Amino acid sequence: MRVELYERMMTLQAGRRNFLKGAAALAAGTALSNSFVGKSFADAAGDLRKQILQIPGVGKGAPTDADWQKVGEMCLAATKANVAEGEFAGVELTFMGLNNQNLHNVLFRGFLKPWEAYTGAKINWIDLAQADYNPRLQQSIATGTVDFDIIEMGAPFEGDTAGKGLLDEMPDWVKAQIDMDDYVNYLKAPVGTWAGKTYRITIDGDCHTFAYRKDYFGDGSISGMADAPTTWAQVQAVSKAVKGKKDPLTGLDAYGFLDPLKGWGGFGFYFLEDRASAYAKHPDDPAWLFDPDTMKPRVNNPAWVQAIQDVMDTMPELPPDQINADPGTTAFQQFLAGTGSMICWWGDVGSNARTSDSSVVGDVVGFSINPGADKVYNSKTGAWETPASPNFAPNMAYLGWGVYVTNRVSADEKKRKAAWSAAAHLGGKDLSLWMAAYPSGFQPYRNSHFDYAEWEAAGYDRAFAEDYLGSNADSYNHPNAAIEPRIPGIFQYYSVAEDELAKGYAGQYASAQATADAIAAAWEKITDQIGRDSQIALYKASLGL
Amino acid sequence: MTTEPVRGGDLVGQGIGPSNPQRRRLGIGLIVVATAGLLFVVVSQALDAGGAIHFGFSNWRPTLYAYVVWAIALGWGQVLARGEAGWRALFILPAVLFVFAFALFPTLSGLFIAMTDWNLSAAVGPRFNGLSNLVALFSDRFYWNALGNMVFYTAMVMVEYAIAFGLALLLNADIKGRKFWRVTFLLPFMLSPVAVSWMIGKSMLEGRFGPIARLARWLGWESPTFFAQPWMAKLSIEAMDAWVSIPFVMILLLAGLQALPKEVQEAARVDGAGPWQGFWQITFPLMLPVSVTAIVLRMIFKLKLADIVINVTSGGPGGATDTVSSFIYREYRDRSNVGYGTMLAMVYLVMIIVFVTLLLNFLSKRMQRMT
Repeated sequence: MRVELYERMMTLQAGRRNFLKGAAALAAGTALSNSFVGKSFADAAGDLRKQILQIPGVGKGAPTDADWQKVGEMCLAATKANVAEGEFAGVELTFMGLNNQNLHNVLFRGFLKPWEAYTGAKINWIDLAQADYNPRLQQSIATGTVDFDIIEMGAPFEGDTAGKGLLDEMPDWVKAQIDMDDYVNYLKAPVGTWAGKTYRITIDGDCHTFAYRKDYFGDGSISGMADAPTTWAQVQAVSKAVKGKKDPLTGLDAYGFLDPLKGWGGFGFYFLEDRASAYAKHPDDPAWLFDPDTMKPRVNNPAWVQAIQDVMDTMPELPPDQINADPGTTAFQQFLAGTGSMICWWGDVGSNARTSDSSVVGDVVGFSINPGADKVYNSKTGAWETPASPNFAPNMAYLGWGVYVTNRVSADEKKRKAAWSAAAHLGGKDLSLWMAAYPSGFQPYRNSHFDYAEWEAAGYDRAFAEDYLGSNADSYNHPNAAIEPRIPGIFQYYSVAEDELAKGYAGQYASAQATADAIAAAWEKITDQIGRDSQIALYKASLGL
Repeated sequence: MTTEPVRGGDLVGQGIGPSNPQRRRLGIGLIVVATAGLLFVVVSQALDAGGAIHFGFSNWRPTLYAYVVWAIALGWGQVLARGEAGWRALFILPAVLFVFAFALFPTLSGLFIAMTDWNLSAAVGPRFNGLSNLVALFSDRFYWNALGNMVFYTAMVMVEYAIAFGLALLLNADIKGRKFWRVTFLLPFMLSPVAVSWMIGKSMLEGRFGPIARLARWLGWESPTFFAQPWMAKLSIEAMDAWVSIPFVMILLLAGLQALPKEVQEAARVDGAGPWQGFWQITFPLMLPVSVTAIVLRMIFKLKLADIVINVTSGGPGGATDTVSSFIYREYRDRSNVGYGTMLAMVYLVMIIVFVTLLLNFLSKRMQRMT
C-alpha cells in the first residue's frame, strides 16, 4: 500500500479492515466487480510488491542493511493500521533467533528498525548459531529461564514450548493482519497450533527440494544423460558417471550428488531423510520415522538401511574431504560455488543462486522435487513394493521457521501487543514476498508467493522462477509428503543419529544395517527417557491419527 | 618484640574483650537462630520444589538470601561467643563460606544431578537413578573412544614441550631481533582457539581453495585432505592446538632459562663441557622444576581440549578427533541429556585429579633422585 493512500485513509479515520469492509460493501452494493476503491487498493498493494522486489533488484548484488530497512519501512502500513505512532514507547522486547550465514536475525534487525522508530519500542537481540539453537532453547525451558519475549522457532519445537504452556496465544487482530488464509495448505493448522490454539506466525515454508546443474545434462554432457535424474538410482549413476571428469563451469573436478557427511547439531539428519523418505514413506502410511503405536524406530528397517547404503556406496565419488562437510558447507561453499552437480536443500539454494554474490551457478541451476525411488517399503506388511511409477515423498524438513511470542508478555497487555505487532510485521504478506525472493534464510510459504509474474517483474528469469518456485509448490502440495513429527526432543533423535552415522560412514560399523541398528537403539533410549506414552500420543497427534 | 596477644577489644577500640557468659549465650543464640532460619527456608523450598507443600516460590533466591543472612550471623555470633578467637575466625570464615557456595555446593549439586535421569525434554524432569549413569558410562563406546584420543593428545604434550624448549633456547640466545621474535612467537597464544579453528581449520586447510591445500598440491599431493583420514585429522587437530599453545610453554621455559645463574654454565665450559653436555648435564636438570610445572599445566589444558574439535570436525571422522569435552558437549548440549552428561563430566574430573596427582608424585620422586 502506498504511504499517501494509507495517510488518506487515516485522515478519514478508517482502519485497514474497515477500509476493506467498506470497499467490499461498495462492491456488493453496486454489483461492480472492479470498483474504483477496490481496484485502487489492489493496485496500491501490487505496486508496493513490485517496488519492494526492486530493492536492490535481482542481479544487482546482495541486499544490505539499508535495503532491509527500506523494505521494512515500505511494509509498515499493516502495522500502522493497528498501532498508533509511539504507542509502545518504553516497551523493551527480547528477540531470540538465528544468525546463520548472516541472515535471519541480521535481516530482522533491519526490517524492525522502522517498526521500532514508528512504535517507540526497543528490541534486544539474542543471536544463535544453528548448532546452538536447540540446546539454548532446551536449557531455557528446563531451567525456567526463558529470557526472550519473541522467538524465531521451527514447528518441531512446538511440542517443547506450546506443549508446556510457554507460548502466548495469537490474538485475532494478528491473524487478520498477516492474512493466514494465504498460507500453503501444509502450513495451516495443526502446524502452528497446540490444543486448538494458534501460536505461530509462519515466516518460512520448509521443504527440501532437489537442485541440480543443468550443464551436467543434455546432449554431449559429461553425465551422458539427457535429463536430470528423477530417482535415487539415477542420482547414483550420475555420481559415478561424472567421476574423474571436469566441471563444465569451473574446470575443476566434477562431482555428482553432494551428501553432507558431518553432523550439524541434529539438522544434518534431514539430509539422510531426503534419501530415505522416498524408500520409507509409503503413500498409505503417514508414519515413516517411528511406529505410531509403539514409537519403535523405523530407522533400521530395510528402507532406511537402503538409504544409508546408498550414501555409503556413493562416498568414493564425493569430494575428498566430504566426510568433514556439513550441510552448510555443501550448499554454500560447494554447490553454489560451483562444486558438485546435485544437492537436496531448503529453498535458500534457489533464492541465493541468482542473488548471492558468492553464487556462480545462477544461470545453470535447475530444480525439481526430491528424487523418488523405484521401490517403497511397506512397514505394515514388512515387504518392499514396486509401484508402477517411482515413489516420491518430498521431505518437509523442519516445517519452516515461525515467529512465536512467549508467555512472558501475557500479563502486560501493552508489551503483549508490541510483541505480536513486531512478529506480525516480520510475517506480513508483502514483506514475506521480499524474503522469499532474496537471501533471507526463508523460502516461499504463501499461495501468493507463487505468482510467477511478480518474480519476473523483480528481474527473475521466468523459466527460473517457474522452475524454482514450481519445485517448492510441487513439494508442498505433494500427496505423499513426508511430514516431520512435532514431538519433544526430536533433535535429540537427530543428533544421536548424526553421531552413529558418522561412525558408520567412517567404517566403524560392519554395515549399513549395523549403523541403522545403532541409531535405533539410541532412539529407543531417548524415547524411554522422555516418556514413551507421551511421545506416542504426541507423535500420533502430529500425524493426525 | 612483644608476644602478648592483642585483645579483641583493642582491635576495635570498643571494649570487646574475651567473651563473658552473657555474650557467649547471645552469640550462640544468634548462630542457632540463623541456622534454624536457614534450615527452615531450605527445607521449605525443597518441599515446595518437591511438590509436598506449596509456598509459591518461583526461584531459589530465598535460600540464597537466607544463606547470606546466616553467613553474617555466623560471623557476628563467632565474635560474640568466642571473643578474640571469633575475630580471628572472621579472617578465614568469608573465604570458607565463599568456597562452599561457589565450589563445594555446585560440585555436590553436580554430583546429585549426575545421579539423575534428566532429559530436558522429559516432562517429568529429573528422576533419581542412583549409579545407573555410571554403569551406562562403562559401556559407552563414544566415551571410551574419546578417552583413547585423549591419551594421544596428552602424550603429544611431550612433543610440544620439546619444540617449546628448543624455541626458548633459541630466544634466550644472542640472536638478532630477539625482542621481535619473542613477540612474534607469542602471537599464536594470543589468538582465540575458535578464531584459529575458522582461520586455519576451515579456511587455510580447506581442501580445494585453502592456501595450505594449494601448496600441498603444488608439492605433489594430488588431493590434499587434512580431516578425512582418522590419523591425519587427529594430527591436524593436534597441530592447530599445539600452534596455539606452544608459545605458552615456551614463555614459561624462557623465564626459567633467564633465571638460571650464568656462572654455572661458565664453570662447566671452563671444565671443558661442550654445548650438548652443557645443555643435557647442566641446563636441563636445572630447568626440571620449571619444565614439570609447564608440562603439568599444559596437560591440564590439553585434557580440556574441545573448542577446536567442535568447530572443525565435530569429533569426526567417525570419532577420530573426538575429545571427552567435545563428547560431553554434544551429549549435554545437543541431546539435552543433563544427568548422564554431568556424570561423564564428574568421572572425567576424578580421572584428571587422580592422573595429575599420580603424575606430580612420580615427577617429584624422579626429581629428588636426579637432584
